[in-house]
Amino acid sequence: MKTTLAIALILLSFLWYLSYLATRLDRLHHRVETSWANLDGLLQRRAAIALEIAHSEFADPASSLLLTSAAYQAREARIQDRSAAETALSGALALLVIDGQSHANAAEQSLLEQLTALTAKIRIAIAIHTDAVSSTQMVRKKIAIRTFRLAGTAPLPVTYEFESDAL
Amino acid sequence: MAILRSATLMVVKKLKIGLVCPYGWDTPGGVQNHVRDLAEFLLSAGHDVSVLAPAMGEAKLPAYVVNAGKPISIPYNGAVARVLFGPIAFARVRHWIAEGDFDLLHLHEPAIPSISLLACWAADGPMVGTFHAAAKHQKVIYAIGPILEPAIEKLSARIAVSEAARLTLTNHLDTDAVVIPNGIYAKRYANGVRQEKWTGNTIGFIGRFEEPRKGLQVLVDALPMIARFAPDVKVLIAGPGDSEDVKKFIDPQLLHRFEFLGRISEEDKADFMSSLAIYVAPNTGGESFGIILAEALAGGACVVASDIPAFVSLLGGGEFGALFASGDSNDLARVVIDLLRDEKKRMQLSRVGKAHAQIFDWDVVAEQIFSIYEMAMVGGDRIKLASGTRSWNRFLSRDEG
Repeated sequence: MKTTLAIALILLSFLWYLSYLATRLDRLHHRVETSWANLDGLLQRRAAIALEIAHSEFADPASSLLLTSAAYQAREARIQDRSAAETALSGALALLVIDGQSHANAAEQSLLEQLTALTAKIRIAIAIHTDAVSSTQMVRKKIAIRTFRLAGTAPLPVTYEFESDAL
Repeated sequence: MAILRSATLMVVKKLKIGLVCPYGWDTPGGVQNHVRDLAEFLLSAGHDVSVLAPAMGEAKLPAYVVNAGKPISIPYNGAVARVLFGPIAFARVRHWIAEGDFDLLHLHEPAIPSISLLACWAADGPMVGTFHAAAKHQKVIYAIGPILEPAIEKLSARIAVSEAARLTLTNHLDTDAVVIPNGIYAKRYANGVRQEKWTGNTIGFIGRFEEPRKGLQVLVDALPMIARFAPDVKVLIAGPGDSEDVKKFIDPQLLHRFEFLGRISEEDKADFMSSLAIYVAPNTGGESFGIILAEALAGGACVVASDIPAFVSLLGGGEFGALFASGDSNDLARVVIDLLRDEKKRMQLSRVGKAHAQIFDWDVVAEQIFSIYEMAMVGGDRIKLASGTRSWNRFLSRDEG
């Protein structure tokens, strides 16, 4: 009798532990999604500003062409190519901004200021997202989670390599 | 995609923000000051703010503070910390979360055993954590790491107040943080008036001088050497404490060079900083940010500080103030003497220091903190009690619905 009770108790606490782990993992997946949504939103805004800069008089035809195509590529990119496309956009923006800072009129100056503020936010958003991804990856390595397939069908989040220092 | 974009822009509305302060509200301390200033800044920006903090009594609490109970004193990280935990405190924290209907929680020091950690356990939703301490007791952290990890990973975003605090996090808890410094009201210190009585070859010190880690002893030991080169040097010490106790340890021949000013007001502090020849911070450790140095820089003082990690990073590795080897009075004397002889260098340091101090102004710091809030809230969730979101509960409610 006693042993049955003990076994039942152990089984129960083990089940509780599994449910606890599942909740924990669920929360982490949620964090990965929201932090990605945040980062994605910021990157979209950056692409919009890049297009605005490209269409202003501040950009010469050649850099306007470069910037427009980079911005469109970043917007249209599939998730696998996203990182490369965003890095290309960073590069294109950096070229123009470093070059043209001195002869921008007031409206363009404000665009460039928006861009700088946005870049600072993007850096933080990248850090937050990468952190969520790496904690999730770490928890998903736990043996209990792998044997009992607690992650379900959720794909393992991948780390995106953003070259944030390009800006 | 358009929906996501509007979601990040939308958050200009009034927010309900809950701040949790782990230490007793009515005892002086850096974290308490930080939480108070942040709460008042957010209130003045039009947000709805509630601060949960332990307190000895209800009497002197501001309207926005909710008392979580009487703090208990425990030894922690080389000092006595007044914290609060236990089943009753946990019930109060849960009650505060349930009643508050918050958009976001901002937990201060969630890695120490107090109500911030309890709130992190109890709540679910957008949470931001700020880590103030730079712990050096590595073994302890390794031991408690696995306990903390599940709680800490619930935070949507983490803030460290200094590079030293961030390193503690990355090394021991395997998680990264955004560095946002502590805030000061830089404008309050910017317009200090030079007071004749504090000018000349004066060395200033502010702090609870009785605490060994504040390092007054290092300055006292350096004074004989400094006095040999600058016979008219004076040491002005401000801060709460019993000066008689300290005077016993000072060479009687040099006693007349020390002046104890007691606790001084914020306005006096500004005057003090702009009048001094040199402000010295000889702390030997236990400091993770060094708010007093930020204030000294904002007041236009020429700063000399020990080379503990927090001070090195605050002073830009020596760019905005001179550094000496921590605990080494000979080195302190050398640096001070060099500066007392070289007025041009002093002027130059105080000028660049004052300009640098603007990055610690609340206007700048609060905006950075607020942009972290926005990022944490992107999912559009609100704060709920964690028990309401356990997976089985959700299964049940899904079946019923």
